[in-house]
Order: sequence, then structure tokens, then C-alpha cells
Amino acid sequence: MSNRQEAPLLPPSLLGRLERMELVSRKVFRGRMKGERKSKRKGQSVEFHDFRNYVPGDDLRLIDWNLYARLDQLFLKLFQEEEDLHFYALIDASESMNFGTPTKLHVAKQLAAALGYVGMCRADRVSVQALGPMGRRAPVLRGRASLWKMLDYLDDVESGHNVSLLEGVRDFSIRNSGTGVAVLISDLMDKEGYESALRMLVGRRMDVFVMHVLSPEEIDPPLRGDRRLIDVEDGDSSEITLNNHALQKYKETVTSFISGIKNFCSKRSITYLPVQTETPVETIVTKYLRQRGVVR
Amino acid sequence: MNVIPAFYNPVAWLVLGLIPVGIILLYFLKLKREPVEVPSTYLWSKTIEDLHVNSLLQRLRRSLLLFLQLMAVFIALIALLRPGFLGDSKRQKRTVFLLDNAASMQTVDRGKTESRFEAAKRLILERIEAMSDEDTAMLVTFSDRPETVQAFTSDRSRLRDSLESVGITNHSTDILGALKAADGLANPRRSSEIADVNDVQVADAKPADLLIFSDGGFQTVTEFNLGNLNPEYIAMGSEDVQNLAITAFSTERNGERPTEVQAFATIENFGTREVTTTATLKMNGQFLDAEAIEIPAGEQTGISFVIDSQDAASLSLTLDHEDDLAIDNVAYAGLSPMRNVSILVITPGNTPLKVGLETENTSKICTTSFFLPSYLNSDEYKKRAAEGLDDLIIYDTCSPEQMPRTNTFFIGSLPPANPVTKTSTPDSTGSPDANPETANATDDTGNGPDANGATEIANDTETAPTGDATPVAEQNWRWASPPSPVNLIDIERTHPLMRYLELFSLLIFSGRGVEGPPGTIELVGADVGSILSIAPRDGFQDMVLGFEIISRNEDGDAETNTNWYAERSWPVFLLNVMRYLAGAADTTGAPSYRPGETVRVRLENAITSPQVTRIGGTPVDVSPGPGGSLEIIETEVPGNYRVESKDKLADLFAINLFDPRESSIAVVKEIELGYQAVTSDESSVEKRQEFWRWALIAMLGLIAAEWYVYSRRVA
Repeated sequence: MSNRQEAPLLPPSLLGRLERMELVSRKVFRGRMKGERKSKRKGQSVEFHDFRNYVPGDDLRLIDWNLYARLDQLFLKLFQEEEDLHFYALIDASESMNFGTPTKLHVAKQLAAALGYVGMCRADRVSVQALGPMGRRAPVLRGRASLWKMLDYLDDVESGHNVSLLEGVRDFSIRNSGTGVAVLISDLMDKEGYESALRMLVGRRMDVFVMHVLSPEEIDPPLRGDRRLIDVEDGDSSEITLNNHALQKYKETVTSFISGIKNFCSKRSITYLPVQTETPVETIVTKYLRQRGVVR
Repeated sequence: MNVIPAFYNPVAWLVLGLIPVGIILLYFLKLKREPVEVPSTYLWSKTIEDLHVNSLLQRLRRSLLLFLQLMAVFIALIALLRPGFLGDSKRQKRTVFLLDNAASMQTVDRGKTESRFEAAKRLILERIEAMSDEDTAMLVTFSDRPETVQAFTSDRSRLRDSLESVGITNHSTDILGALKAADGLANPRRSSEIADVNDVQVADAKPADLLIFSDGGFQTVTEFNLGNLNPEYIAMGSEDVQNLAITAFSTERNGERPTEVQAFATIENFGTREVTTTATLKMNGQFLDAEAIEIPAGEQTGISFVIDSQDAASLSLTLDHEDDLAIDNVAYAGLSPMRNVSILVITPGNTPLKVGLETENTSKICTTSFFLPSYLNSDEYKKRAAEGLDDLIIYDTCSPEQMPRTNTFFIGSLPPANPVTKTSTPDSTGSPDANPETANATDDTGNGPDANGATEIANDTETAPTGDATPVAEQNWRWASPPSPVNLIDIERTHPLMRYLELFSLLIFSGRGVEGPPGTIELVGADVGSILSIAPRDGFQDMVLGFEIISRNEDGDAETNTNWYAERSWPVFLLNVMRYLAGAADTTGAPSYRPGETVRVRLENAITSPQVTRIGGTPVDVSPGPGGSLEIIETEVPGNYRVESKDKLADLFAINLFDPRESSIAVVKEIELGYQAVTSDESSVEKRQEFWRWALIAMLGLIAAEWYVYSRRVA
């Protein structure tokens, strides 16, 4: 199902508000280029960091001559380096995401675009990509001028690439060796489990955020009677008589599933963010993500 | 409570028991499930796994649809069982319903909305509904006559239809006939004497329950043996009743002043409380008079009215009082116009008779003509006799050749034999010596031996020819004894002719017993046999007196044979003869009959196409029989009836209940049938309450609920 006919990924009113935001990283990473983020490197910013003894070969321009005059010893004056932040938005583009009104995939793309735009406005290195084959041609973006490139890419992202979370994340990890902030936007309904994928992201020393997108129909299914449930991803079918008891059981399973994810994430310092598709993206980004410390 | 199952076959029960099991099995069969796409069966499969752990119990426990379906089937099974309440009393397979439909069953007891008859029908209907397929029942109604409405059948619908067709009557009650009708199959008669060794029982006795639905207002039945009938008396009604009844109402003209009419009524209070009310008299529908009455419980009172009326009139007396039984609150009486009767006397000379017939009182109501016996041979007499112009002909010691077409009174002589008898019976008249009075009479009349050909002495000679004993001879009047002094033994005081008479002081010097044709009623019995008898003849009546008043001695001189003429009873007797035999009694007031009785009216020959009309009803054409006699059977409804011909009143009569037994409506709690007391036991009335209809309605409701739940789930 194409999402071109759905609401625009980033409405103009939202763009103005996003420009004033900033992505928050709980960790300090090394960047690749000069940026606006504090880096682990010592560099040439205006912010003083430390002194150290001069060793032969050091740049003479960094010697603090005032100190030499007072102490008659050579010290180098070190400054804090400012670099860019690597921001990755990973979109689960499996067939299961193509569900609900609006579809979970559309909401995921909206969230990715919004966060990506926030990063681009702050001169971060932004990479918004779908898991699976589509991710290989995802552009690396920097600067707000790249917005249209990002939107074009997202428009091209369609569901149907049924790769498991683990495979998608592994593929992403191989292609992107750097560290940074990784936001995984998915429904996490992978029959092989979501745990391995998240562990892999954490293992790459990334600041991982999980945005768990669920539609209301998944939380409280409007189904009754004798039904044959067909899995849109693998065609698997399950027969069930949907009575109150079965639905109650399903809801208990959903609750247990969500609390399992929360538990898993909190143990590994992963920020878990449940998102319902019925909630407008503006509300999610400007209120919800801000409250949870994803942006500020 | 006993549940009466519809199935006696265990296989049927087994099949029924398998139905719920089948439904449960069907529930586990693969249903045609509607496919629906979900983003992932990841969570669903977890749910299904959880459900599968105890799916059988869960599905049975949690499935409302299954529960509703099982409930529906269960209730349907209960409905098929046709459950109901049934009393515990011992029941026969055969039942006889005796339903009282006499007048007293019209009573609507205090606090009830239906009459006793309707309540009894309802109870019988409940019994019919409670019958099983193997039970049989018959329905007999009884009032003054029994009617087998439905013979033994197990067809409940026929019983229901028969019961529906039964209506209430205004008749009195007599249960004996109904008991005999019920008795037939239960107590079959034997083919011969009980002691006979060759006796063969004609049929097996079939015991039956005898259910009597009545208020007990009938005579105690003694001449009946219940035998194999098991009686059960269901008393309809209560003992606390209120009923004021008119038990008699008659009119009589004043002999002194013919235009003055007196109306008498007897009013009785059969209720349990004193009643004060008024009685209203109406003549031809117009208010005439009213009288206040006050009667304590169980008492009676008489009221009388004096009316001036010269013409025929229809009177009605109404009690302005609402009580439990309405039919006896109105009484009717007819008033015939005054008319004279004509009497022809053929006598050789009888002063006491002449004096008696010409008293001041009798001369007001009759015109008497006296002729000598020789008048019998005149053409004028023959014409009068053939046309029946006279209301009564008195033959004093003489006899005509042919009987006239009117009522007759023979004094000291016998009516002639009818022509058949005359030719078939040999002339066995004894010698004149042996039968001097007859000889005298025949000599006087000059009719010769032929005239008294049949007037032989039946027991005069023991060597009488065998022809005397033939049935033909018994159809004629004959002497039963030779002349001898007579001592009176018995008087039939209830007969209107014998009213107010005291005869035991009579002296009769010579008289003979008389025997009449079949139907003869003995009015005065004596040591020589019946001395005064009356017999019917083709709508007329012949009365024969066995002794002369004035006899002749051998010299032909008149002698008194009795002192009756000197007694006070003589003119009274002659007045009775004029009233009853000559028909003058009709002038005193129209007779009253009970509802349902056949009313016989004698009309003048000139009337050929009479109509009978109940006042307020529609005229009914009737055809008179030979001799102008008319039989009217349409007499069910109380009221004044008029027999008219071309707007001319020919006769009138009234139909009234006048039955204290019917008016006494307090229910009898114990009746006696053939010396066996049967006590009413209303509490033991077997009453069946059917539940299967309610069960079916509940089942339909459950199916509707099940369908609603199902549609909500699938939609």
C-alpha cells in the first residue's frame, strides 16, 4: 500500500517547530566532521579543556606562553573539540507495518523524517533508512537543504521487505561502523524476536531508542466470532473463536509483550517509546518525545 | 407433582438424550471461519497457545452460544415431555363425566364471574386436557332427562367439541337416568338369572370413574347400585347463597264477579340472609301493581293481587331483587277469557243430578240440557255427538250406540264397545236375571242387546268363553263384579275430580266394579273393585260410575240407590266434573308447565293452522293432530305462551320453573347414590397445568437471544 496518498510526512507547520529542537544524546560520541556537538576529541574550539606538558613535536602554536613566562616550563593549552552527531533512524518496513489507519509505516516515516530534520537543522549527520534492501541506498544527510532528499527517499520506502529485525540491524551495522544515536521505529512483531536486534545495536555502543509503533486495532482488535487469522507477512494462518475470553487473553498477551520489551530495554539503557498511530505526529514529537528526553 | 412423559419408549429417551451431545460435538467440528488478515499472528499465536491448554473446558464454560443452544434444546425436551401437575388420586382409565345442566346450575355465586355450569365445563375441560392417549371418557348431561353427549372415546378433540356444544337448560334435575347411562358398560347385565349355572356373562365389567359435576340439587337416588363405578362428586357452588324465588303463581276468576281476577304467588327465600324487596305485577307488559315483601332466610310468604279483566291476559310477576339465580325471579300466568261449558244429560229422570247441575254456582259456568234416553236415536243427538258440540255428555243408566266426540260420564252404565270389539267378541251376555241392571238399562234405552254387546260381566260366570280374556276384550269397559252392596275403600284424592271430596260416609245399596281399557285410572276403590274410573279415548276422557244414583224397581218406580245426593260432597263432585271433565276449569286460569315439558292443548275442530307464540318470541307454526289435540314441545324458555289462529286466541299457557329444589341453590356437600354417601372433595380435584407451551415460548426466546448474540459477534 502506498503512503503517497496519505498525509504529508512533515507538514509545514511542524517544520518550523522542529527547527527549534535538538536531538539529545545521552552519550558523547566522536564525530567525523566539525559540528556543534561536544566531542571526546581535543580540538580547536573556544572552550578550554586542560593543560599538558609539552613534548617535542607538539604544535608550537598551542604552547601557553603566559604560563611559560610565569613558570618557565612549557605547557600546552588544550581545547574541547566540537563535532557532528551521527543520527540513525531505522524504519521497519515489513509488511506488518502496513496496517492501521494511518498505517504504522506512515507514522514511522513521519517520526523518522521529523527526527531526521531536527538532526539536519543541528548539522548532525543524519541517516534515515529502512531495514532491508532499501536501507542500502539510503543517503547520508547533513544540513536542512537535504530535507527533500530525505523525503524523496522516505517516499520510496514501501512495505513488503520482509526481513527480520535481526537481519535488518545486522545489515545496518555492517554498513555503518560509527557510533551515534539509533532510533529503531518498528512494531517489533518479529517471530524471531526483537531481543537479538536490540542487543546488536547496544553492542555497537549506540544510544538506542526504540519507538514501538502499534495501531489501536492491534491493542483492542474489533474482531468477533469464528475467524481464520492470516499473517500478512508469511501467510501463516491461525483459527480462533473470538469470544470475550479469547480477546481478554489476547489483551493480556499484548500487555505482557509490551512489558517484556520495557523490561528488556530498561535493563540495557534503551529508551522505550510506545507510539500509537492514532496520535498525531506533531503531538508525539513536540510533547511526547520531548518529555521522554529524545529531543529538547 | 408427577411429570407425565410423552414417551414411554426407552429408545425415544435415548435419542432425545443424544441431541445435546450431538450439539456439543458439532461445536467442535471445523467451522467455516471467515478469513481476516492481521499484521502478524505473533501475538495471536501466543493467545491461541494459551487457549489451547484448556480449550475444551474453556469453550464449554465460556461459550454463551453453546450454553444458549443447549438450554433451548433442554427446554424443548422438557416441552416434549408435556409436563404438568396431576393429583395423586387413584384414576381409572375410563371416566364418565356427568354434567348437571339443570336450571340451578345457572347460579352465579357471590364473588364469581362465571356460572356454576361454566365452571363445571371448565373443570371438565381441564380433565379432558389431562387425559393421556390411553384414557377414554364419556360425557353425559342430565337435567330432568339424561343425554349422552359423547360416548366413550379417547379422542380429546371430540370430547372438547362435545363439551363445547352442551348448553344450560331450564329444567329440573333428575340424576337417575344419567346414572343408568353411565352404568351400562361398567356394570354389564347378566344374560339370565344369577343362580343359573348356564348363565353367561354378556360382557366384561369395565370399571370407570364417575365424576359428577353438580350442585347436588336432586333427589336422593336409592334404586341404583354403583357397582364398578367409582363415584367422585365435584360440588359446584357455595353454601352461602342468596336466592329469592317465586315457587307458585296462579290466577283465578271470581265466580261471583266474573271480571274480577285474583292472582296468588308464593315467594320463598332460599338464601342465608333476610331480603326486603318488591314484587311487580305486569299485565300484557304494562305495570299493574307492586307489593313490598320481607322474607327472613328460609321462610316463605304469599302475596295476592286483585285485577279487573274480562279478556284473556298474560301476567308476569317480577321480584325486583338481584340474586344468584335469576330464572326464578320471574313468574308467568295466563288468564283465559270467561266462557260457559255446555253439558248434555241423557237421563230417564234423575232429580239429584238435575239439582246438582243447576245450583247457583254451576249454572254460572255451564249450560245444561236434559233429554230422555230416547233422544239418543234422534238425528239431532247424532249430529251433536258427531260434531262434539257439547263439552260433556252424561249418560245416566243408558248408553249410546257410538261414543260421541266429546268427554262422557256414564252413571250406572258402561260405554259401548268399539266396533272392532263388537264384531270380534262373541255375544256372551248373561241372562237378564243374572244382569238385571244392565238389562234394565238397555230396556230403558231401547237399544236392545246390541247396545250392550260388550257390557258382559267379566267375572260373572266362571265358564265364560275364552274370548273374555282376549286383549281385544280388555280394551273395552266391562263390569268386574255382580251387583252387590258397596263399601268404599280408597279415594284418589290427588286427582282434580276428587278434590275436596269426603265419600266414606256414603251408603250404596247396589253397585258393581268397573274395569276399563288400558290407561284407566281408579278414582274410587271399593270392596267390589273400582267403583269410579276414568280412561282416555282419542283425546277425550270417559268416566264411569259403577252404581246408579236413582234406580228402578221391578215395578219401574224410581228408588234411591245411594245417599250421596244428600251429602255435601255431591254438588262439589258435580262442580269438579264440570270444571275438569267439561273443561270449565280452563276458565279459571291458564295452566302452568315446567320448562321442557310437552304441552298438550285441545283445540276446536275449526282451527286448522294454529301458531304458538311466546310473548316476546317469534311465532312457530304447529299442526294439530286428530281430534284437535296439539302437542307443543318448544317450551324451553319460561314465559307466557299463546296458541293463536288468525289473530284469534285459541288457548294460552305459561312455562315456569316453580321447582323449590332448583331454587334451593345452596350447594349440597354430600349426595347419596344407591345408599352410598359421596362427599364433595374439591381439594382432590385432579387439575392438570400444562407447561409445554410456556417451555416452547422460553425456548423461542432463548433461540432469539442466541441469534442476537451470534449476530453481534459475527457482525
